[in-house]
Amino acid sequence: MRPAAPLLMLLPALVLVPLLLLLPSQWHGGGGELIGRFLLAAVQPSLDPLVLRSLLGGVGVTLGMAVLGWSASLVIGVLLGAASSRTVWRTLGGHPWPAELLRRLLAIPRSIHELIWGLILLQLLGLQPVVAVLAIALPFGALVARVIADLLDTLPTHALEALRGGGAPAPAALLTALGPPLLPGLLSYGGYRLECALRSATLLGVFGLGGLGTELRLTMQSLEFRELWSGLWLLLAVMLTLEAGVARLRRRWLMPPRLGLAAGGVGRRGREMVLALLVLVPLGLVVARALGVEASALLQRPPLPALPPPDWAAVAALPWPALVGSTVLLTLVAACLAVGLAPLQWLLVAPWPAMKALMRLGWALQRLWPPPLTALLLLFLLQPGLLTAALALGLHNLGILGRLLLESAVDRGAAREQALLGAGSGARQALLYGRLAPVANAYLAYGAYRADVMLRETVVVGLVGATGLGSQLMESLSSFAWDQILALVAVYALLTLLGEELSDRARHRLLEGNGSPEAAPSQLGIST
Amino acid sequence: MLELRGIRVPGRQAPRLDQVDLCLHPGERVALLGASGAGKSTLLAVANGLLKPAAGTVLWEGVPPALGRRARRRQQARIGTLWQDLRLIEELTVQQNLNAARLAHWGWPRTLLNLLVPLESEACAQVLRRLDLDPSLLGAPVAALSGGQRQRVAIARMLRQEPVLLLADEPLASLDPRLAADLLQLLLALAEPPKALLLSLHRPDLLAGFDRVIGLRQGRVLFERAVADVDGDLLAELYGGSGA
Repeated sequence: MRPAAPLLMLLPALVLVPLLLLLPSQWHGGGGELIGRFLLAAVQPSLDPLVLRSLLGGVGVTLGMAVLGWSASLVIGVLLGAASSRTVWRTLGGHPWPAELLRRLLAIPRSIHELIWGLILLQLLGLQPVVAVLAIALPFGALVARVIADLLDTLPTHALEALRGGGAPAPAALLTALGPPLLPGLLSYGGYRLECALRSATLLGVFGLGGLGTELRLTMQSLEFRELWSGLWLLLAVMLTLEAGVARLRRRWLMPPRLGLAAGGVGRRGREMVLALLVLVPLGLVVARALGVEASALLQRPPLPALPPPDWAAVAALPWPALVGSTVLLTLVAACLAVGLAPLQWLLVAPWPAMKALMRLGWALQRLWPPPLTALLLLFLLQPGLLTAALALGLHNLGILGRLLLESAVDRGAAREQALLGAGSGARQALLYGRLAPVANAYLAYGAYRADVMLRETVVVGLVGATGLGSQLMESLSSFAWDQILALVAVYALLTLLGEELSDRARHRLLEGNGSPEAAPSQLGIST
Repeated sequence: MLELRGIRVPGRQAPRLDQVDLCLHPGERVALLGASGAGKSTLLAVANGLLKPAAGTVLWEGVPPALGRRARRRQQARIGTLWQDLRLIEELTVQQNLNAARLAHWGWPRTLLNLLVPLESEACAQVLRRLDLDPSLLGAPVAALSGGQRQRVAIARMLRQEPVLLLADEPLASLDPRLAADLLQLLLALAEPPKALLLSLHRPDLLAGFDRVIGLRQGRVLFERAVADVDGDLLAELYGGSGA
């Protein structure tokens, strides 16, 4: 009695039952009036020129950090990706073992969230813009490297063998045979990473690394909600422009050219891509200058305070089982919430187009709004603890999953839904059977991947306390107990790698032999 | 059974349907003939209620489309449509697909339960048997079926809806001649009185068995007459160039 796919995607929403039962015990409602003021401020943001100027400056800094970190991550990713590809090593005449080794090593920077990178680099280098850039570039670079290596190793090698057989030298053959087919995947994934970089730069700001995030947190703490909303709407505008721009380029460059245009299309697109890459380099330099990022600063780091001798007994005395247990529980609750709520919300609003537009706006704000700020907001109503953290994390990821669900469902077309509507079924029933069923497996597979990301992200809601490894790490960081930090980061990384393994398996099980083979890889291509 | 009067559906340049009248009585089998782009699919979409015409009247069993959502759904449940692309839900089993035709009558408990356990197996097996399909197919996912089986499952789903008006949009288009002839016989046989059938075609060689033919050209009704009265000249005019 295995539930059919569309039902399976709704089942995670059952987590709402225990959640709603527990909510009253966590409710203090003390800041109800503040929440009211916060919501009201959404429609009357501050238009004070001084405020706007300062916020715009913040947006500029955040965008700059994001673009720099992102560009660096692409460079790192392409180089390391090629270096950890089995095909590349084999073609260069060697054994593929260095690729395997590098692949395993890269799992470590990847498994550590950019916030941890940021906070540790902050301790080492002091407060300067390069910290945020590096914090984004390192883990993102390792992620991009993995995707590139996977893409390279799954591309068909006939063309490569033909060129090698014709006597072309290995590097030239690799570039010619694998470069062009790699480009669409790289562009598609790279565009998606830019959006992630903007979210991360905002998040790092919330933890004091500068830019709009810092301003958002300050306005939030001083309860200046109208200024807070000015910043939020600005960020939303930037994010939506970016998303639209990326989607447009993706369509322009990657969609199969329409009939009749094919002849001129390829060369033109190639030139445009190269041009865009060339523009990116001077742009990066200008942005780096404007932000005051100086590579030389990396060499002259401030002297570290004298480190106390390690106290391994204290490290061992940390409540490890409880820390790991709460981290896993937090991840599961937040993941169920995000995965299950997106289709459920869509089903609820299905009959009313206006409500659907409102839901999309809500999702856009949710994925934009850094989870620690949601957590702070929730603290106006709820006690600090796991539930509050799970809500904050879940709502943020709901925005991301919801958008993905909408997009993939729209891609599959409305014919089946129409057929059901024509036979008299209700709008919600037609949506569930006709629209959601075809994308259910790919969506759940993405959900499994997302759960793995959320495990890494639990650290960002650590500030509401009692959330396991994340909150303990925050505590150890603020007292600079380096021995504890080391142990915590190692356990975190280990847990993330384990989660990655599990989510990979879940994904393969969901996608194997199911009706939509062509949809699934493209879905995951954007997201891995 | 179905009455359309003065139907107009605007298009980008020319109207997709203009001043179309059509009347279908119980027990009638009517073929809708025309070149591609003549407006056959649009007319069927108006007939099954998916497309609301800009002007004109639609009457189902003598009654205009209800304003209330529930009553409207009851009306639409009595109209079964066979789509050219079948529109089966690949990810579900044959039985779940057949039961999807009952959603108009089902509340949420059964809508969800259908995704978990086999519901109303006997009724589903019955429609399969009527189409010479083995009831053991009920548990198979639609994605695993052959082309011919899928076609029949799609018809079975339409029957499971228990409609009184059967609409079919070019069901024979992508089939080889022998399969097309078989399928047409099947559809004609299923439309036993008081059921009525409206079937769109673009090939004029398959008209035997129909009571009437309606010729559609550029969104207008060019002719409407008994099959015996359709001759070569008429067809030449129907398929001829833009015409004077």
